[in-house]
Amino acid sequence: MKKVLLIAVLCSMFNVQWSMVNAQKLTGRDVIQKVKDRPDGDTRYGEMELTLRKKNGTTRQRKVTSWAMDEGKDTKKMMFFTYPGDVKGTGFLTWDYDQIGKEDAKWLYLPAMKKTRRISGSSSKTDYFMGTDFTYDDMGTRHVDEDTHKLLREEVKDGHKCWVVESVPVDKHEIYSRKVSWIRQDCLVAAYVEYYDKLNKLHRVLTISDVKQVQGFWTIQKMEMKNVQTEHSTLIVVKNPKYDIKVDKSLFTVAKLEKGL
Amino acid sequence: MRSLFLLALLWCICPRPVVAQGEDSLQVGVKGFVDTYHALRTESPNDWMSSRTRVRGEVTLEKGHTGAFVSANLVYNAILKDRTGFQLREAYAYYSDEHLDLRAGRQIIAWGVADGLRLTDIISPMDYTEFLAQDYDDIRIPVGGLRLRYSREKWSLEAVAIPVSSFFELPTDAENPWSVGPLPIGDEPSHRLCNMEYGGRLSFFLSGIDFSLSALHTWNKMPVVCGGIGQYRRMTMLGADCSLPLGRFVVRGEVAEYLDELQPNEELSIVNYPLSIRAAATNALLGIDWYAGNDWSLSTQYAHKYVASGEHRNSGLATFRISKDLLRNTLALQSFAYFDVTNGGIYNRLSADYALNDQLHATLGYDYFHADRGSFTVYDHNSEIFLKLKYSF
Repeated sequence: MKKVLLIAVLCSMFNVQWSMVNAQKLTGRDVIQKVKDRPDGDTRYGEMELTLRKKNGTTRQRKVTSWAMDEGKDTKKMMFFTYPGDVKGTGFLTWDYDQIGKEDAKWLYLPAMKKTRRISGSSSKTDYFMGTDFTYDDMGTRHVDEDTHKLLREEVKDGHKCWVVESVPVDKHEIYSRKVSWIRQDCLVAAYVEYYDKLNKLHRVLTISDVKQVQGFWTIQKMEMKNVQTEHSTLIVVKNPKYDIKVDKSLFTVAKLEKGL
Repeated sequence: MRSLFLLALLWCICPRPVVAQGEDSLQVGVKGFVDTYHALRTESPNDWMSSRTRVRGEVTLEKGHTGAFVSANLVYNAILKDRTGFQLREAYAYYSDEHLDLRAGRQIIAWGVADGLRLTDIISPMDYTEFLAQDYDDIRIPVGGLRLRYSREKWSLEAVAIPVSSFFELPTDAENPWSVGPLPIGDEPSHRLCNMEYGGRLSFFLSGIDFSLSALHTWNKMPVVCGGIGQYRRMTMLGADCSLPLGRFVVRGEVAEYLDELQPNEELSIVNYPLSIRAAATNALLGIDWYAGNDWSLSTQYAHKYVASGEHRNSGLATFRISKDLLRNTLALQSFAYFDVTNGGIYNRLSADYALNDQLHATLGYDYFHADRGSFTVYDHNSEIFLKLKYSF
C-alpha cells in the first residue's frame, strides 16, 4: 500500500517561481535551497498521468488527482487514484511536517475494505513508487542538508542557462552515490538530472521537457525518468494544474478521505 | 439469466461516455469489475469448491452536496445455485458538506483498526456462505440504516441507527462444501422500534496517534447455539481503538467489552426451553504492521477473548500477513493466516496476483486448513487451490 504514498508530493515539484539570482556568490547549497524555496501558491490542484514503459515498448498507466494546502511551513495533501479500475477510489491523505524529526502523518483509504488505515509516516525513501522509475525520495520534499552540494559550473543545457550542481548524500545507504543536476537559472527548476549508482555508473536520467507558467507559477508539465541500465522509463504528465484554489481545511480530513472524490 | 448476464457483461466492457461537468451539474461515476473464480479441493474427492462468475457495478450520482450510491452484483454460481442472480449490495442517498456527512439506506459500516478480525467492528455482519475464502469486501453484509457524521480537522463524531438488523449468513445446506452442518436457527428479532440498533463513535486523528471511543446497542449477529438452536439476543458493546505510528511500524490496539453477551449453552429449562446464559465478554487486540521497505510488508495481530462465566473462559486468535511486490509491482505475493491459538487450528491463504495489463489481473492461490478442534475443524478437509481472473473498469 505504501506504493500509493508519495505521488501526492509531486505537486510540490511542479511549480516554481521565476526569480533573478546572482550566480557569482552562490554555493551549491544556495542553489538547491532556492529551488526548494520557490513559491507555489497556498493551495494546489493537479491531475497526473504516469506512463511506465518497458524496454520492449509495452506500457502501463496510472492516473491520480490531488490537492495540497500549505499551513505555515507544513503541507496537507489529499490524493485519489482514478485509473486503473482496480485501484480507482483509493485515497491517500498526508500531513507533511517541516520540522526535522517530526514524522509525517499518513492515512490510506481502501474503498473495497471501507476502512481507513493509519500507515507509517516514514516509509522507505529508496523504494520505487508504484513500479515507476521514481523513488519516493525523488518525488518527495528531501531536506536540503540530506546531501552535500557543490556548484560545479554554469553551462547552457537545451537552450537554457543552468547551474550544474553535484549532490552527494550524507547517508551512505541512499540508492545513489551522487547526482548531478542542471538547474535552470530562469525558473529555478531542474532541466536534467543524472543519478549514479554505488559503483558510480550512470543509473537513471531525469529529463524535464515542458515547463510553463500557470497563474504566474512555473509548472513542470512533463518529465521523464529513464533507467539507462534497464531501459525502463516513466513519463509523468501533469494536466489541469491550478493554484490558490478555494479549498477548505476540511478537505484534508479522514472523513473526506472516506467520502472520496 | 444467462442472457441477462451477457448483457451486463457487454455493458461493462463497452466504452461509455462519462457525464462529469461542473460542481453544480449532475456528476455520474461508474466503476466495477467482472471476475470469475474457481476453486478445487486438493484432497479426495477433489471436487469443485467454488465456481462463480459475476459482474459488479457501482454507480455514484452527485449534484452539489447531495448524491446517491448503488453497488450491485450479477452472479452466476455453478455450485450454489441459489446464489445465482441479482444481489443488491449498497444503495444509499447522502448529503455531504464541509463538516456533515449523512447517509441513509443500505450501507456497509466499518469500525475499528483490526485487520480481518471483529471486535468493535460489529455493525455489518458477515456472509460465511464460503467462509473466508472470498474477498473480504464481499463478506461484509450491508445494513439498512442511518449514519450521521460530523467532522472537524482532528476529530469526528459518528452516530448510527439501524431500524432493522441484519445477521450473519451461515451455510447449513449439506450441498455447500462450506456448510457448518445442520443448525436450526431461531427467529430473528421482530421488526419493531424497540429492536433498533443504535450507537456512536468519537474519533481523533492527531499527528502522532489516532484513537476512537465507541458504543453500540446491538445484537449478537452470529447466532449463538443454545439448546441446539442458534439464537439472537440483545447486547451492548463499549469499545476503544488506537493506531500509533512508530517509524516504520504502526502499533494498533482495540478493546471491546460486550455487556450481556449470549453464551453457548446446551441446557434446557424445566419447560424444555433453551436457557439463555448471558455474561460480559472482554475482547482485546494488539497488532503491529511493519513497512519494511523494498516492497515488503508484514503484519501480525493477537486477539483475546475472556468471558466472565462458563467453562471455556479464554480464547485467542492470531493473524499473520506477509506480502511482497515484484516485477515493478505487477506481481503481488501474499500470505494471510489465521491461527486458532486456543485449539491449534490454522487457515492460511497464499496468493500470487499478476497484472496482465492495467485492467486484467490473474490470481492463483492456495487455501490451507488444518484443525483437530475449534472453529476450523469443520473445514479441515477444505484445503483448495483457486484461480481468479478479474477485469476492472
